[in-house]
Amino acid sequence: MTQIKRREFIKLGLTAGSLLAAGSGSDLVTKVLGKRETSKKILLLGLDGMDPHLLHVWMKEGILPHFQRLMNQGDFRRLRTSTPPQSPVAWSNFITGTDPGGHGIFDFVHRDPERYMVFSSSAESTDAAKTISLGNLVLPLSGGGVKNLRKGRAFWQILEDHDIPATIFKMPSNYPPVPTKQKTLSGMNTPDILGTFGTCHYYTSEFTEIKEDLGGAQILQVYVLNNKVEAKLPGPTNPFKKDRQNSEIDFKVFIDPVNPVAKIVIQDNEFILKEGEWSDWKRIRFSLIPTKSVKGICKFLLKQVRPEFKLYVSPINIDPADDFFTISTPENYSKKLEKKFGPFYTKGLPADFKALDHGILDEKEFLEQDDFILKERNEMFEYELARFDSGLLFYYVSSTDQRQHMFWRFLDKNHPSYDSGLASKYGNVIKNIYREADKILGRAMEKADKDTILMVMSDHGFTPFRRQFNLNTWLKESGYHSLINRWRQGRDILFTNTDWSRSRAYALGLNGLYINQKGREGQGVVNPGPEKEALVREIAHKLEDFKDPITGERPVFRAYITKDVYHGPYVEDAPEIIVGYNSGYRCSWGTPLGRIPKEIIEDNTAKWSGDHCVSPEVCPGIFLANQKAKIGSPALYDVTATILNVFGIDLPGEMIGKPIL
Amino acid sequence: MMWIFNSVFGKIFVLLFYPFQSMSPWIGMILISFLTALLMLFVYRSTSNQQGIREVKNKIKAHLLELWLFKDSLSLTLKAQGKILRYNSKYIGYSLKPLLVMIIPLILILIQLSLWFGYQALDPGQKAILVVKLKEGQNPLHIDIAVEPSSGIDIEIPPVRIEEEGEINWRLHAKEKGIHDLTLIIDGRRITKEVAVNQKALSRISPAKVRRNFIDELFHPKEAPLPGNLPIKKIEVKYPSKSMNLFGLNLPWWLVYFALAIIFGFTFKGIFKVEI
Repeated sequence: MTQIKRREFIKLGLTAGSLLAAGSGSDLVTKVLGKRETSKKILLLGLDGMDPHLLHVWMKEGILPHFQRLMNQGDFRRLRTSTPPQSPVAWSNFITGTDPGGHGIFDFVHRDPERYMVFSSSAESTDAAKTISLGNLVLPLSGGGVKNLRKGRAFWQILEDHDIPATIFKMPSNYPPVPTKQKTLSGMNTPDILGTFGTCHYYTSEFTEIKEDLGGAQILQVYVLNNKVEAKLPGPTNPFKKDRQNSEIDFKVFIDPVNPVAKIVIQDNEFILKEGEWSDWKRIRFSLIPTKSVKGICKFLLKQVRPEFKLYVSPINIDPADDFFTISTPENYSKKLEKKFGPFYTKGLPADFKALDHGILDEKEFLEQDDFILKERNEMFEYELARFDSGLLFYYVSSTDQRQHMFWRFLDKNHPSYDSGLASKYGNVIKNIYREADKILGRAMEKADKDTILMVMSDHGFTPFRRQFNLNTWLKESGYHSLINRWRQGRDILFTNTDWSRSRAYALGLNGLYINQKGREGQGVVNPGPEKEALVREIAHKLEDFKDPITGERPVFRAYITKDVYHGPYVEDAPEIIVGYNSGYRCSWGTPLGRIPKEIIEDNTAKWSGDHCVSPEVCPGIFLANQKAKIGSPALYDVTATILNVFGIDLPGEMIGKPIL
Repeated sequence: MMWIFNSVFGKIFVLLFYPFQSMSPWIGMILISFLTALLMLFVYRSTSNQQGIREVKNKIKAHLLELWLFKDSLSLTLKAQGKILRYNSKYIGYSLKPLLVMIIPLILILIQLSLWFGYQALDPGQKAILVVKLKEGQNPLHIDIAVEPSSGIDIEIPPVRIEEEGEINWRLHAKEKGIHDLTLIIDGRRITKEVAVNQKALSRISPAKVRRNFIDELFHPKEAPLPGNLPIKKIEVKYPSKSMNLFGLNLPWWLVYFALAIIFGFTFKGIFKVEI
């Protein structure tokens, strides 16, 4: 098996298809359905990752008055999350009113059993079926595109069937947006224009070891000559060229010989920044062929001019005013928002946590960036809120999730990345984002009249991520996985050192564990049926019994056998076991891509210090409404059932939820 | 001299566009394109050989008919094609004179129109770059130059001096609506450059103030030229460029201008009995 870098496969996958797909399937005339007046309205806030425990504590402290008031008016419940509690899975449960067996999203990534390769679970890109070649040019004639891999119907499609208008703002797991005449804007999983989930570029004159596979960041060494830097901004792979070379844009930075300021010139943009300052959005265009170009938007941060030059360029977001990528329904919805507000963050997870993790951005800079995002979102929320007069409005906030991921280490003195100096500065970041969420709720409460059902939900809660569990190493040490060369252990990804003839199980993705099944996997050895059933139960029991030799705790809270917990037509595609980690634990950074280091458990020293890819019982989400709940322990798919029930729509057969209110 | 001409010629456009300043720029564009078409028709009729053009066009038509009628005869076809080419050249020759007469007024009109349609005034809160280009041999690090902030325009950060380009760049921050006079102090002398913030839909925006020089002044006609004894040759504000929006399509203003002028010209040539 040839080794392939993660960045490359995501890039090849999402980008090529996205680019080839552009231009096809666009409706020239789009109209928004639904001017039907509904007697009831639903205003639903989706606060990604809001944790019930923290919410409860801070409500008691009295710093979240609107949450407190909403709870007093109606109800506050812990919301049962998905198995596993990963955002794409959890939001898909909510979108479709089913569990992963019904929508087919089991993890951020899925695997190709034939090649033991991972690919994005959310979207698939395909090349054009028919092309014509002219020298180095390849022109698509038909086919090709980007496909949303989530199965099942979205609840707003069902609302549309009943003429009930809906605005779905930044819903995760909805890229490309499913066909509908409702107003929707795609959220998490929307790529940048490189086709990745966000790759920033960092230009520095400091000597650095160039790391190709930095994951989410590209470091480029530059030279300052005569107070001038000349560099290139890499763009998307050009699918119209046979050699698929990367497009790029030249740019120049002129540095003042004395003052800490610089002028940046890139295409039509000329702007001056002082040290530590962000630019506003800059529009750039990558020319692919003379008649086709792709437009993106990015921000520049001039970190330092002397003694070393340091310039950060944000991931290049899809330009919401460009036709090349479809990020909304109707297609002109994103353009209308752009016209009203100017360019805005379109990338799925907008804040650049990878840059913070790699030390390219510091905590202050990361928060500045996330503040821009929050400001943009709040302005759009006000706009949609003012227009909301019928049907449903769903509004999504990502900052709650991203700040908890990156700043949990300052809440948790036992975390390996805890730093008392930084904690005194950033220890309130999470509390403050809950306060911001409270303000957003306050605005929603002002708008909600007697006919409005106001609900607040999160897809999961949060737990500390102190120790990382190398699941494939555990499988190897437990005799379920074998290597070809022991001395190469830990060096490879994607099982290039695995002896499949002696391996019965493997782990890919954040929570998935697969059996190397004969007839399904490329080099399967385990017979389906009783042999496999017994093996699955044996591994699940052993995982649950395993104890961390350092802490004495059980890293795995529960190993879920998917055929026992999932419902629906796609259960067969699921991993055999979903590993539900305990609080404080999560799979290691190498596990999703099949890395097998020597240690089973290691400290997590990354800045990504809070997580939720654990057992669903360990990190439930929240549900609040301005009415009393009828269910003691509601689940995500029950929120979907509630929406349809409010509008008097019978639940489709595939939905497994029950109305909460 | 050039400055006096620019002032007078520019005033004609100010008077022309005055009633339409608050309306869509398309109104002003349609008006000026129509007037240009009338001017072109007038010049064409006055300076071209109308009788000659008519005859040449008739002959081309006749030979085209010959081509169609005698398509089976190779010799006649070749002869007809030769004659079509000859009369075409003659036709182009007849058109040259009015085109040459038109070219200078058209350039002057285009320069004026670029001020009205080419640039977007800054919005309050918007940032833009002010570039001072130095004369050859001047070093931006050694020159005594400063920009005074005003109530309408702020200068937030120190300038970027680029030796290689011989220029100094400031970042302007527009604060208030209006045409503001930004003051530059160069070697102790106070020089002003106007900066437009939040103007009407159709307004005259001057991006640059230039040294006293025929070509420079010709292309930057709105502001009086710089005194000759200064070490600088140009002060320029980098305004965002403006385009004409047609059903969401952004078109260059000059393309719209020429297209409309040609359409109007062909529409009205019959009324004014002009043979084109």
